This record gives sequence, structure tokens and C-alpha cells, in this order.
Amino acid sequence: MPGRDGIAGLVCLAISVGLLLLTRGLPPPVMVPIGPAFYPRLVLSFMALLSVLLIASDWRAQRRRRGVATPVAGGVSVRPNYLRVLATFVAFAIYILLLPMLGFRIATVLFVAALQIVLEWPRTWRRWLLVAGVAIGTTIVCDVAFERYLSVLLPRGRWTGL
Amino acid sequence: MNHYELLLTHLGTVLHAQYLVPLVLGTIAGVVGGALPGVTITMTVIMVLPFTFGLDPLQGLAAMIGVYVGGSAGGSITASLIGIPGTPSAIATTFDGYPMTRNGEPGRAIWIGVFAAFLGGLLGGIVLIELTGPLASLALQFGPWEFFSLYVFALSMVAGLVGKSVVKGLLSGAIGLVITVFGPDPILGVQRLTMGLDFLEGGFPFLPVLIGLFAFAQLMPDVEQIGRGKQAEADAPRALVLRVAKLDALWDILRRPFLLIWSTLVGLLIGVLPAIGGSAANIMAYDQARKFSRRPEMFGTGIPEGIIASESSNNANVAGSLIMIMAFGIPGDAVTAVMLGALTIHGIQPGPLFISQHTAIAYGIFAAYLLALPLMMLVIWLGSPAWLRVITMPKSILIPIVLVLCVIGAYALGNTMNDVYVLLLFCAIGYAMVKARIPLAPLILGVVLGDQVEANMIRAVANDADPWLFVTRPISGGLLAASVLSVLFALWQHRREARTAAKATTEEGADVDF
Repeated sequence: MPGRDGIAGLVCLAISVGLLLLTRGLPPPVMVPIGPAFYPRLVLSFMALLSVLLIASDWRAQRRRRGVATPVAGGVSVRPNYLRVLATFVAFAIYILLLPMLGFRIATVLFVAALQIVLEWPRTWRRWLLVAGVAIGTTIVCDVAFERYLSVLLPRGRWTGL
Repeated sequence: MNHYELLLTHLGTVLHAQYLVPLVLGTIAGVVGGALPGVTITMTVIMVLPFTFGLDPLQGLAAMIGVYVGGSAGGSITASLIGIPGTPSAIATTFDGYPMTRNGEPGRAIWIGVFAAFLGGLLGGIVLIELTGPLASLALQFGPWEFFSLYVFALSMVAGLVGKSVVKGLLSGAIGLVITVFGPDPILGVQRLTMGLDFLEGGFPFLPVLIGLFAFAQLMPDVEQIGRGKQAEADAPRALVLRVAKLDALWDILRRPFLLIWSTLVGLLIGVLPAIGGSAANIMAYDQARKFSRRPEMFGTGIPEGIIASESSNNANVAGSLIMIMAFGIPGDAVTAVMLGALTIHGIQPGPLFISQHTAIAYGIFAAYLLALPLMMLVIWLGSPAWLRVITMPKSILIPIVLVLCVIGAYALGNTMNDVYVLLLFCAIGYAMVKARIPLAPLILGVVLGDQVEANMIRAVANDADPWLFVTRPISGGLLAASVLSVLFALWQHRREARTAAKATTEEGADVDF
């Protein structure tokens, strides 16, 4: 079973080889001795080579580790909460996907409120009020600052027209 | 007008409200962002970025320079008060700043840090103003071979110096270069690697890539720990007395001129090296200060030397980074990479011609930098009662706001959702890279320099097809040799560290056995 570096190396190798195959359809050089495919091939080959080196170094490290007894962890380690990270990413992705449909104003109020709840469940009604206040306040401040004062247009919703 | 007349004129220009207001607001944002643990200067400058789109280039740059200078000093507030560095560039400040606070001198710790930041920044500013022009003139002698080799050198050096694995550093740089080959090629405009996707036809826009990489890479480690650091937040001291005789704090620094100048030089040098930044500068300067000290055993107990070394170097580092971007177009760190992106939005390309073609902006940057230093002190002084509240702001409120600003920053570039989808893609890639422990700095530099590397390579080959010219032209050959040497040096250094660590483990094991 490859370690963290081995997996990273395999992913990078797969991407670089896949993209290298895509360069096959590029036209030959016309005006200068090197064509549009030369530089992508150069950097992709370099990336593939480094990926192989990373896989090899991970494999060597795994073999070395097998020969040495795993030390017992001395301190108490705090496990990262990956579920919360995933929930944050999903909320962010939904926000981005809904932006063109709902528009900035509605989508942002919903996203800021939802993500605050995902990150820390409000236990008191004061906290619920704070969640709502931050969501509405952020949206209003951004809307006023960008649309009115900085002439930056924010996305309008196809469904809502807002 | 000569150099100094231009500087004075632009100092007057930046003092006009239209430039001073963005500079002041940027400085406030920088100090607050720098003071908030988990929010780096890069993240703050990314948050400020969308606000600059509606401004003229110098107004936008003034705001960003304010963030940069304010953030570099702001990080020391939390480092000294609660022992958590507000930014990575204040890590070494915690070593002596926090013990000084625990010894009952929080005000002294803060103000030694602020004055050291001011003086280090000022000395760095003098070097910035005096050296940028001559370095840009030197760069004007470069042909495409030399520029190609310079960029390769910058990439190889960063890849070697950042992180714990040379292979991972180089791989990160290579990924950055690969990101720039999507879309039209620079000669004929032939579409490359687009896979039939419309939104890839213009290539990956630089700023959404950068914002995405940093947004999740920097915020998600905090999300992982939300709810587990409550005790530390609750323990944050709310009743510290920050009053101190400020002249005494200033005298603490002025009677150590060698330490101040040496730390400033270390910061400048690290700033000039591409994409390394203040996080390395403060630790290196602290280490140097301890080595040169007559009382190295006192370091870590709350002595002024540790704070002076850390803070003067990380603010001088700002000037070093600005020298590099203004003279060569190579960002000294991620903050200057964002500035580079902001300039390109306005059609301005930093590089050797920058000072001669955009004199007003170049001298405006010098002026904004010099004015940001006293403003930073003023903001910290006037805002000191609020800092203890600011640093305890819950992450659950901060993170959604930061992400909304990231979306606005990406969207407002071209008023298209495609840039926001790119942002989302690179959010995932950035976090994956953090988890794989692949450093981001070489990737950023690869993305910034990728187009230039290719364009200069093509220009060189179009001028003369002989590839040996890259090696036989003295400057180009020297830079390529330096690239190889920097990678070899990094390999040797990493191997030596690994051997030392392995030896220590064996000895520990032996101790246990007996």
C-alpha cells in the first residue's frame, strides 16, 4: 500500500501522462523551430519524471520503515475533523453552483448562515441572532461596497432576478 | 526631475485623500488580518483584492502595500500577547515576545516589536528606493536566454529551499508550469490541452488560481481544529495593560544597532529570494541573533533581542520582495504575486521596464511603502484597546466571510462564473497539496513565471536556433549553473538533516535499551 507521497506521486503521474497523450494532436512547428507542443511536452515530461521519483522515494521509505519497529506515540494528538472540512467544501460548492441561479444576494445570505451553522452549532438564541446578523450584514456590506461604490457588478440570479 | 525630486513629488501625491484613504484602510486591514491567528497576510491581501478592482492602479497598490506592511507588524501582536503568531512571519516573535508578556511586560513586548518593524521597514525602504533602479537597469541588459535562465534559477532555488523534500518542491514548481500551458500557445494561438472545454480556452486565469490555492490551503487547517482550540481562545488575556514608556522601547532597539542592521539585511536578502517570504526571514534572523549574542542562553526567556531580530527582518523582507518584483517581475512571495496579478489586470507588466514606463506608479509604490510604516504604528497605537477583542473573533464567523470575498475576487476579474469554477477547482487542489505536504510556494512561482519561461524560450530559439547559447552566454550559463548548484545544495542539506535525525533516533533508541 503506497504512503501519502506515493499516492500524490501516482496522481501526478497519471495527470502528466494523460496530458502528454493530449499533446499528440497538436500541430507541428511552423514559424519557429519549436511548435506549440514542445513546451507542454517538456514540462509534462519533467512532472512525470518527478512523480516517478516521488513514488520511488516513498517506496524506499516504506521498505525502510518495515525494518524498524513503529514507535509508540508519546503525546496526545488531536485528530483533524475531516467531516467538517468536507461539509465546508460541499457548502462552498453548492454556493458557487447556486450563485447564477439565486444571485449573489440570496445565495450569500444562505451560504454565510449555513456555513456558520456547519462550523459551530449555535446553542443559544443569541447565537442564532448573531448567525442571521452576520449573514445579512455581510451580504449588505458587500453589495453596497462593491455595486454602489466600487462599480463591481455581482452575479444576478436567473431564477430570482436579484 | 531627479530620483529624489520624483520621490518627494510622489510622497505628496500619495498624501492626497484619494491615495491616502486606501493606504490607511489597507493598513488597518493588514494589522487586523495579521493579528488574527490563522489569517495570513496573503489571505488578507486576497480579501482586499476585489475592493481594488474599481480603483486606479496606484490606489489599489497603496491599499495592498498598506496590508503588506500592516500585516507584517500586526502578526507580532498576537505572537506577543497570546503566544500564537498571527502570521507565519511572526513565529520567532513568540519565542521572546510571549515570555516577556508572561514576565508582566506586554506593552514593552508589543512596542519593541512595532518599533523594530518600523525601523527594519525603513532601512529596507531605503534599500528598496536606492537599489530597484540600478537592478532594473542591469536586467535591461538581459536577452531572452538570460531571462529564461533567471526564471529557471528562481524556480529551482525556491523548490530547493521550501519544504522538506527537494523532489516535492520541484514537482510543485512543475505543476505550476503545467497550469500555464492550458489554452492558446504564445505564437499561433493554437488551443492546447483544453479537452473541448470552453472555459479552458483562455487558459487558467492567474488570480482565481492563486486565490483558490490559498483559500482552502490556509482556512481548512483551521476548520479541522474548530471546537478543539476553545480553551486557548477562552484563555486569551482580555485585561492586559499595554501602556508602556514608548521611548524606552525605542531605546531598547537603538542601543543594539548591529542587531537591527544585521536582521534587516537578513530580511532583505530573504525577501529578494523568490517566493520564500517573511516566514523564513524571521526565523533565520532570530537564529543569527542568537548565534551572535553574548548571552545566547537568555533567548526564549523574554529578552528584547529576539523580538528585534524577528520583527525588523520580517518588515525588511517586504522591501526585498518589492525590489524583486519591480526590477525583475519575479514575486518575492505570495503577497507580491497577488500584487503582480492586480497590476496585470490594469495592463501593467512589472519587470525591468516598469520603472521607466510607469514611473508614477513605481515612485507611488515607494511613497506608499514609506508612508505605510508610520501609519502602521499609528493604527496599532490607536487600536490597541481593540486588539484583545479582535484576536478572539470566532473562526466560524470569519471563514464564511473570507470565502465570500474570495468568490467576489474571482468573479469580479472578468464578470464570469468560469473564474469562480476555476477558484473552486484550485481550492480542492490547494487543500490536497497541503495534505500531501507539497509546498505551495514553488507552484505559485511556476504559475506566475510559466508564460514568461515559455515566451523567452521561444524568443531565444527564434533569434538563434542553437540551444547551446543558453549555456555559452556568460550570464545565462552562470544562472543555469547556479540553478543546478542550488538543487544539489538543497539535496545535500536535506540528506544531512535526515542523517542527523536518524542518528538522534538511534541514540534515543540506545538510551531506551539501556
